[in-house]
Amino acid sequence: MPQPLNSKEQALFRLVVRSYEDKQYKKGVKTADQILKKFPKHGDTMAMKALILNAQGRTEEAFALGKEALTADMKSHVCWHVYGLLYRAAKNFEEASKAYKFALKLEPESAQIQRDLAVLQVQMRDYPGYIQSRRAMLQARPQIRQNWTALSIAYHLDGNLTEAEKVLSAYEGTLKQTPSRLDLEHSESVMYKNSLIAEQGDYQRALDHLEDAAKYNLDRLAVMEARAEYLQKLGKNEEAAKAYRALLDRNPDHQAYYEKLTQALGISDDDVKARKAIYDEYAAKFPRCDAARRLPLDFLSGDDFEEAAESYLTLMLNKGVPSTFANLKHLYSDDFKKEVLPELAENYLESQGADASSKDKGEAAALYFLAQHYNYRLSRDLDQADEYVNKAIEKDPKSVDYNMTKARILKHRGDIKKAAEAMDYARTLDLRDRYINSKAAKYHLRNNDNDKALKTVGLFTRADTVGGPLVDLLDMQCVWFLTEDGEAYARRGNIGLALKRLQAVANIFDVWQEDQFDFHTFSLRKGQIRAYVDMIRWEDHIRDHPFYSRAALAAIEIYLDLAAKPAENGVNGEDTDEALAKKKAAKKAKKEQQRLEREAAEKQAKQDPNKASSSQTDEVKKKDDDPLGLKLAATEDPLGDAVKLLAPLLQVCPKSLEAQHAGFEVYLLRGKYILALRCLRAAIEIDPSSPKVHEQTIAFRNALNHATDLPAKVLEVLKEEFKAIEPSEDLKKVNDAFQAKHKSSPPHQLAALRVQHILGEDKPRTNKEILALLELPEIEFAHALEALELLQKWRSSETETFRKAAIVKWPQVTRLE
Amino acid sequence: MADQQPTPADTEDERNTAAKSAEDRKAASALANLDSSASSSSAAPAAAVDHEAVTKAMKNLGGLGSGSGTRRNVKVDPADVALLVDQLDMTRPRATEFLKSHDGDAVTAMRAYVTA
Repeated sequence: MPQPLNSKEQALFRLVVRSYEDKQYKKGVKTADQILKKFPKHGDTMAMKALILNAQGRTEEAFALGKEALTADMKSHVCWHVYGLLYRAAKNFEEASKAYKFALKLEPESAQIQRDLAVLQVQMRDYPGYIQSRRAMLQARPQIRQNWTALSIAYHLDGNLTEAEKVLSAYEGTLKQTPSRLDLEHSESVMYKNSLIAEQGDYQRALDHLEDAAKYNLDRLAVMEARAEYLQKLGKNEEAAKAYRALLDRNPDHQAYYEKLTQALGISDDDVKARKAIYDEYAAKFPRCDAARRLPLDFLSGDDFEEAAESYLTLMLNKGVPSTFANLKHLYSDDFKKEVLPELAENYLESQGADASSKDKGEAAALYFLAQHYNYRLSRDLDQADEYVNKAIEKDPKSVDYNMTKARILKHRGDIKKAAEAMDYARTLDLRDRYINSKAAKYHLRNNDNDKALKTVGLFTRADTVGGPLVDLLDMQCVWFLTEDGEAYARRGNIGLALKRLQAVANIFDVWQEDQFDFHTFSLRKGQIRAYVDMIRWEDHIRDHPFYSRAALAAIEIYLDLAAKPAENGVNGEDTDEALAKKKAAKKAKKEQQRLEREAAEKQAKQDPNKASSSQTDEVKKKDDDPLGLKLAATEDPLGDAVKLLAPLLQVCPKSLEAQHAGFEVYLLRGKYILALRCLRAAIEIDPSSPKVHEQTIAFRNALNHATDLPAKVLEVLKEEFKAIEPSEDLKKVNDAFQAKHKSSPPHQLAALRVQHILGEDKPRTNKEILALLELPEIEFAHALEALELLQKWRSSETETFRKAAIVKWPQVTRLE
Repeated sequence: MADQQPTPADTEDERNTAAKSAEDRKAASALANLDSSASSSSAAPAAAVDHEAVTKAMKNLGGLGSGSGTRRNVKVDPADVALLVDQLDMTRPRATEFLKSHDGDAVTAMRAYVTA
């Protein structure tokens, strides 16, 4: 039980609470101390003080005080609640939930504690617990609609659709009259209920409900789409076709409507003529509609395709639409279309001679199209691309688009330095265009020029941000920049800053997950439940976004290198250079850090003293104690850090070959053979011919052959589940056979060479074979870069010989230098 | 005495939307206002609700709380749990659960995990 206070202290206590709510932390602490002077063992006051300390960023003190408060007053729900809030702020949801539950046991009537617990449960996806909490909240205040809706959502998320629907119906049954048509919350709720019925597969009932209850719903589009879908599912094709026509009249650029309409009309996929006719109809009806003209190109073939493509291309080039190529390049997976499109463009170009004065229409547009065509991955011929883009630039030297494409062509040649210069030139042609600005910054990063890049993007970030453009980019969660910046630092060997940036990306994803917290209550309050449920489902797989895997894989690679380094240093003694360089780098970094601190201090001193004091509390919290990532780079447990990034990756994108390969490497180094095997088997499942699969299979057998004191049960599992290579086989012979089989494929050869290194074959042979790689007809400079990296990692004596030979072969590739 | 007690939960939402700039603060206060207007207006729809019907509806919901699936009781060797925790990077409760779903046999459990 909370200890009682005198009336004077009670008033003070309320003041503490208010100070906390108003974020007047200093005042709050002062007042709390005033009470504690008189009642040093007053638990609730200590708890409140702990909460305030935590808000000031003094987490450790807060936890200590929170614990003390609990020992002083075990039976106070306030103390337990605060303890839960502290854990919740520290993101230890498990413990927070326990504390909330205990607080609730002491004070079952408290709506706040109940609400906090409910929000936590849905955040942790503890749906049964959430249902329970929501039931309790409904019981406490059944007259509020939100509480009914929330319980319904809880059931829905738990997969119990019938119950979810029943709850909504139960509430509707209590209404005396139907709410007004303009009641947004009711309108949403009706559509939500309708989607629940449909999700149960009962389309007839969903349709009836839709036509009855949702007739005047505010979300017209959703009603129309749902109705069309139900009609089609129920086989009422005629009505469905009508419904889809109505939708197309609203929005003739929506691809799915065309497909559904075709289906509803009973036109088979082979009946190309009939399909095309539908699109033609809408093309005639809506002269400005792009989809109706472009989409038939997807399924047409032969002469039909040529005809349609010609009219589309002519139209677009006449208008000078810059995105023409981007709209069509997905057709290039078809060899025939890949041939026809450039032919058409060239024909068009020839026909243009007479009226060639325009800078972006007609001839210029065709030149631009062809330049992009020859620059594209599937139809690359960089010399031709150069020719066309130069002609285009001749027509309009000031065009941002043409100059940008020129920079891209240079990038594909491997000449990153010139590419960056060209992109920066394109930027100067339109200084107010943010797109080209970002592009230029990205190319500076590809060229490992982090400072210039930051300066470039800095032209568009908020000027008054404390800490400069980078802080603004972090605040704005500019993931692409952070990733590219991190990768550039990684290439430069600045592990600290590389990890710093890549971890920042991972943190942003954490933030996005954390952001849900606000919406559990907010969405309900606003009644936007369908969007809320969509969001919850999206959050469940948020890390399958390519942005996450790219940053995570890059960071994991760095951690793998960090983990491998000490071991290699121990083996051979030639690391004195390395150690020296490391020391130098550390010294430099330290100086840099001191400089930054000094600058920050100066800035602080310069600031208006009055203003500074008000924002100080904020700044204390925000200050980064590791701006250069030195602590990240000095990690004691690189593999443990890698696993933290890896685990969500393997969970949400198990079909990613790169993720499985990275997982294998990490788990093998950690000696977690079963987990490594799991990744290996998944990789084999995805692509058995991947060169890495071969490499890792042998590496795994090799590791098992050398592994000692594995638990018997683990050995049994490994014996049963890993049969790709028997223990008795000669791994060197297996590798030689693989190498002979894939004689002409550079990636496979590289894999075989890495295996040679793992198996400890004699170095001269490996070196010789790596040099021989350059003679392969299929080799590209990307392979050479990979080989060079390997040689550097192994500190091979042949590194320079290889580099020189490669430069002779590809003189323009900057990264070889 | 309950109403004299502090209400830290009320402040929680505000802390989430930690005000950084003046704009954020404005947004936060707008958000807070939304809350208060919503709770004050909650009295209005309440009037439209038939109280008897609500009570009845609540009663109908009443019986649905119970009925969780019966779980078989499987004995699990703590050594096996420790093995799974170590080998599969699992938390202890998850490892126990996982073992139980494979009749407490560590080898079958791990084999199932590899192929999963």
